Amino acid sequence: MKNLIELIMSFMIIGIGAYGGGMATIPLIQQEIVNSRKWLSIKEMGEILAIAQMTPGPIAINSATFTGFKVSGIIGSTLATIAVILPSLLILTFFTPFIMDRFENNHYFIRFSCGIQVGVTSLIIFAVYSYGCGVIKGWFDLAIALIAFFLLVLSEKKLHPILVIVTCGILGLIFY
Amino acid sequence: MNLKQTKLQGQGQFRDSMPERVSVTAIFWTFFRVGLFTLGGGLAMLPVMRHEIVLKQKWLDNSDFHSMVSLATAIPGAIAVNTAYLLGRRLGGKQGLAAAVLGTILPSYIVILLVVWILSPFFKYPKVAAFLRGCSIAVAGQLAFAGLIFGRRSLGKWQHIIGFIIGLTLIGILKIHPIWGIISVSIFGFFFFPYKES
Repeated sequence: MKNLIELIMSFMIIGIGAYGGGMATIPLIQQEIVNSRKWLSIKEMGEILAIAQMTPGPIAINSATFTGFKVSGIIGSTLATIAVILPSLLILTFFTPFIMDRFENNHYFIRFSCGIQVGVTSLIIFAVYSYGCGVIKGWFDLAIALIAFFLLVLSEKKLHPILVIVTCGILGLIFY
Repeated sequence: MNLKQTKLQGQGQFRDSMPERVSVTAIFWTFFRVGLFTLGGGLAMLPVMRHEIVLKQKWLDNSDFHSMVSLATAIPGAIAVNTAYLLGRRLGGKQGLAAAVLGTILPSYIVILLVVWILSPFFKYPKVAAFLRGCSIAVAGQLAFAGLIFGRRSLGKWQHIIGFIIGLTLIGILKIHPIWGIISVSIFGFFFFPYKES
């Protein structure tokens, strides 16, 4: 029971902070699930991130379903998944009746949103270090990470990122 | 039905490009298809949604779709879910939004449960573990790439860079919770970033 409550709380926090796409969610997930609650090791989190890229659904949701199941079975996965989308649903329910103007031209919104973008950038860069330190254990690992990075840079907009991830998986398969 | 039309027209700027009636079942299955066939993350779902809803089913036009996506990105949470909410609400009111959100979430929920329930014993096999390890390291590269994209887009002026350094210090060195980090930088940005026309 305590586990279920903790699951709901942690995933609601992740749900509320999930701003800027899947990658920006990773440090939040790491903070809650690996550092704070210790439900997953960083290695296990790396596995679920890998799987999340290859399965349908946003990373936050996949992590919720996966971690929820690991902690408390099907009930855990259902509650965690609901918890992670609940904050957005609530905010949307209360705000949508009030959107009167094309808010994207509203200058308060623009300033705020620039700030958030910059904040998310800091978060992502921090995650590169934090998550990177967690999963990269040697020079070869670092090489694979760099290969992934450069492949993504070169294939920007042309190839689906999954191809890069699977390629690195295959490299792992060959060399580990 | 009259009540629904009036309520939707009260949304102000959103032009009424909605067709006469979209069935809740159609909404559900359209979003379910989008959810099922998009691999790799919420952002990837948006072009697929657009393809289904604007191009294929012609339920909305491009600019309505675009303004929904803009609003969805402004709200915290998975973008795909937020977009589904707004689109579903627009197409079919309360039932529409429920159908859209459920349709979007269900495929991923089912697939992950299947993976973790049936396939996780296989994760221990050395070759599978090696493959997953390669993939999870690739994610680190992917994060770096995402950092590049965000940085390119958001760090245009020196004030932005200050904001970035503040964020990094708060989150990385002072170790405050990422959410507070983002909030702090957005407040800083609200007051100090130069206002530019979008």
